[in-house]
Amino acid sequence: MEYKEMRNETDKTYGIRAGICVLLLLFIWMIASDAYKMLPGFYEKVIRIGVFSDSYWNVQNGYSYQILEDAIEEFEKQHPGTRVEYVSGIIREDYSEWLSEQMMRGTAPDIFFVPGEHFNDFAEAGVLRDLTPFIEGDREFFPERYYTSAYNYGNYEGVQYALPYECAPKLMFVNKSILQQEGLAMPENQWTWEDFYQICRQVTRDTDGNGTVDQFGTVGYTWEDAFDSNGVTLFDEKGTECYLTDERAKAAISFIGKMEALNGGYSVSSKEFALGNVAFQPMLFSEYRAYKSYPLSIKKYSGFEWDCVAMPAGPEGRNISRLDTLTLAMSKTTIHKQDAWELMKFLTGDERIQSEIFSYSEGVSVLWEVVESEENQKFFAKDSDTGNVLSLSVLSEAVEQAVVIPRFHDYDSAVAEVDRAVRNILEGSLNINRETIIQNRKVNHYLKEKQ
Amino acid sequence: MDKNRFPDIVLDTMKNLNMVIILYLTMVTVHSLSGYIYENSAMDFLMRVKRTPMEPWKLPILSVGLYLCLLLLLSIRCQRKTGFLLKTILELGIVFAISYVLNFSYTGMAFLIIADTMGHFSDMKQRLILMASICAVYILLDYDLLSAGHPIISIESCWAYYSKEMRSLLLGIRNILNSLNMIVFIIYAVGLILTEVREKERVLGLNERLNTANQELQAANEKLEEYARETEKAAETRERNRLAREIHDTLGHSLTGIITGIDACVMLVDVAPEATKEQLKAIAGVARQGIKDVRRSVKALRPDALESLNLKSALIQMMEETKRSTGVEITYQIEPALKGFNKDEEDVIYRIVQESITNAIRHGRADQVAVYISRNFNMLEIHIEDNGVGCNNIQKGFGLHHMEERLEMLKGTLSYHGDHGFVIDASIPIRWGTEEEND
Repeated sequence: MEYKEMRNETDKTYGIRAGICVLLLLFIWMIASDAYKMLPGFYEKVIRIGVFSDSYWNVQNGYSYQILEDAIEEFEKQHPGTRVEYVSGIIREDYSEWLSEQMMRGTAPDIFFVPGEHFNDFAEAGVLRDLTPFIEGDREFFPERYYTSAYNYGNYEGVQYALPYECAPKLMFVNKSILQQEGLAMPENQWTWEDFYQICRQVTRDTDGNGTVDQFGTVGYTWEDAFDSNGVTLFDEKGTECYLTDERAKAAISFIGKMEALNGGYSVSSKEFALGNVAFQPMLFSEYRAYKSYPLSIKKYSGFEWDCVAMPAGPEGRNISRLDTLTLAMSKTTIHKQDAWELMKFLTGDERIQSEIFSYSEGVSVLWEVVESEENQKFFAKDSDTGNVLSLSVLSEAVEQAVVIPRFHDYDSAVAEVDRAVRNILEGSLNINRETIIQNRKVNHYLKEKQ
Repeated sequence: MDKNRFPDIVLDTMKNLNMVIILYLTMVTVHSLSGYIYENSAMDFLMRVKRTPMEPWKLPILSVGLYLCLLLLLSIRCQRKTGFLLKTILELGIVFAISYVLNFSYTGMAFLIIADTMGHFSDMKQRLILMASICAVYILLDYDLLSAGHPIISIESCWAYYSKEMRSLLLGIRNILNSLNMIVFIIYAVGLILTEVREKERVLGLNERLNTANQELQAANEKLEEYARETEKAAETRERNRLAREIHDTLGHSLTGIITGIDACVMLVDVAPEATKEQLKAIAGVARQGIKDVRRSVKALRPDALESLNLKSALIQMMEETKRSTGVEITYQIEPALKGFNKDEEDVIYRIVQESITNAIRHGRADQVAVYISRNFNMLEIHIEDNGVGCNNIQKGFGLHHMEERLEMLKGTLSYHGDHGFVIDASIPIRWGTEEEND
């Protein structure tokens, strides 16, 4: 009898213990899964945006938050009860670090801008939310409205993690005045390396007869530009292997060597282009916008007439260049998924907001209907005080055709390594085939070390 | 008593040690992660490990909370098998969760479950199966193995925040704590085995004492039996003496009187016939008195029950009484009416039944006895069997001898065997068989 009572007593305490255990596990689950954020005391319907204070294109224009604020105002009007916030004052340089810290603290913004060079890093780190379910579940979302290349920029290993916000293609800027002086025709949009070389060869000369060459063909045309326009894939997706020994790469390197030989060892600076002494300079569209006569920027190229054209095509490639794109991604940990998606869609897909990019930023809208609109055409005509109106079809074509290169972690240092290798190949004493094999091995060794 | 509690003390030590290890790993990891955040190298860290670690403030809450859950579960004893299995699976789940929070840098909590299972599972086979499965889970909780399939941040890459020397020191401390946990576990296991061995020895000792006591009891029993036999013999002697005295006192007295009277009559018969007549009358009286005395003596030797009841009723009464007084289940089936037997025959039948039941209870330690009495032509068959221990080596000490003797006097036979219980078969020729049938 006594034993039975004792057992009942312990059974009771066991029950209490099991109960406490279950409650504790529930509490732990709520903390671990962030479910506690949905509790009344913690829940707040505020969508936070991660953004940097200065322009993505490294230009101080004083309008850094203008587009965002307009968008927020409009969005809040359309979605009553939803508040949108952004943290101001983080400069572009610190932005990726700031974002990483927020992620590690668990206070990542619901949606955030992802600089192009870090998109793959963040995607690989698994901090971005897969957008496929939203894209497939939204009848009002049309990927074809975006430029294909810009849209693909937000794709990592076949998964769409981000939507493009603004982009900038590389275009070849041409000093029309020099060409006219030399009696040369403006190159066609489908021009080739050979055309490019012939023009450069003809313009490179000593104009004032003082014995030194003072008019040049091109400045800033790098092996990367040559690679892109000759269909070279330099690295594999993960950045573990380099393909310098590819015949197309070798052709591009030879071409660069040929171009450099024209200058007779003189290293041309981009200042020479501004002074009107260089016929061609490849530039990101944003660079052009920054230097272009603009209320706040210096009137730089006022001494000559200019135009722009697509990059020259290599024998194995097309007239294409690379695209830099600022994308917008959703945090994996957001609890306002649907609202965040609506806001992303609004920022990247609303025509009014996107057309503001031309007014307040230096990039190009990612929507082709915005870029090719009549208002935009007028805007550019008004914007130009030299009468040089940017050919919007050239711009639109360049964006649509641009290549998206794989950007693995530490891409810049890998490129620096390839740059060194290309230098060595060009300056090497052996023939190009043997030299590329040696250098390619070195780069691959470096990539393996880095892993 | 204190020595038996030794494994429990070791187990408590192990629990505390695990708490220390978990706190150590959690706090160092929290410090290193916070370090990355405060020293602006979060981006580098994220790109290196390619995964977002858990928010630093969550780590201590989760690891300590989960460990408390584990301790609570370990303190619960489950009697039922399903409950125990459920509890063990839940415990393993929590160990997995803690390991996950600690980036699989420490999985020694699994030993706590093994220790707990070892301590509270007496069945060797089940214990082995359970321990083997827990060990398998422990082995699978290895960082290198798990990280092959899933992205996990190794604790080494978290602790890469520290300088090389500092990191070696911190990892060294972790390894020492880990080894300490192993050692405590081994001590626990050895302690548990020793305790069990001691317990077994104690049980063996108790068994031995029980055996000795049993043997002593048997010896005492044998002595008692011998004593009982002696007492029986003494009673027999006493009875013989009483009989001799009775015969001497009654029959002897009367016969002496008769002989003396008849001698006097021989002398008197010619002298005084009348007086002789008188004398003979007196002698007849003495003889009558003698007969009366003999009858009284015989009567005194007969069982009481037979005196007042007929044989069948006496047998039933005797068996019912035995049943009542000993608690042994006695079943009987008496077919004939058992009438028309002489007193001596009744005596023998009664004694055989009585003696057999007594033997079954006393020597066979039976708790069921069956008695069948039937008539087969002019033979009365008595069959008695019991479910006792029987007897392989039958000694005729148990009253069997008396039975045989008594039956021989009635030209009857006796057979018995003791393979399964004890079985006695007795046959007695019925002298007044026809008479009985006429009854």
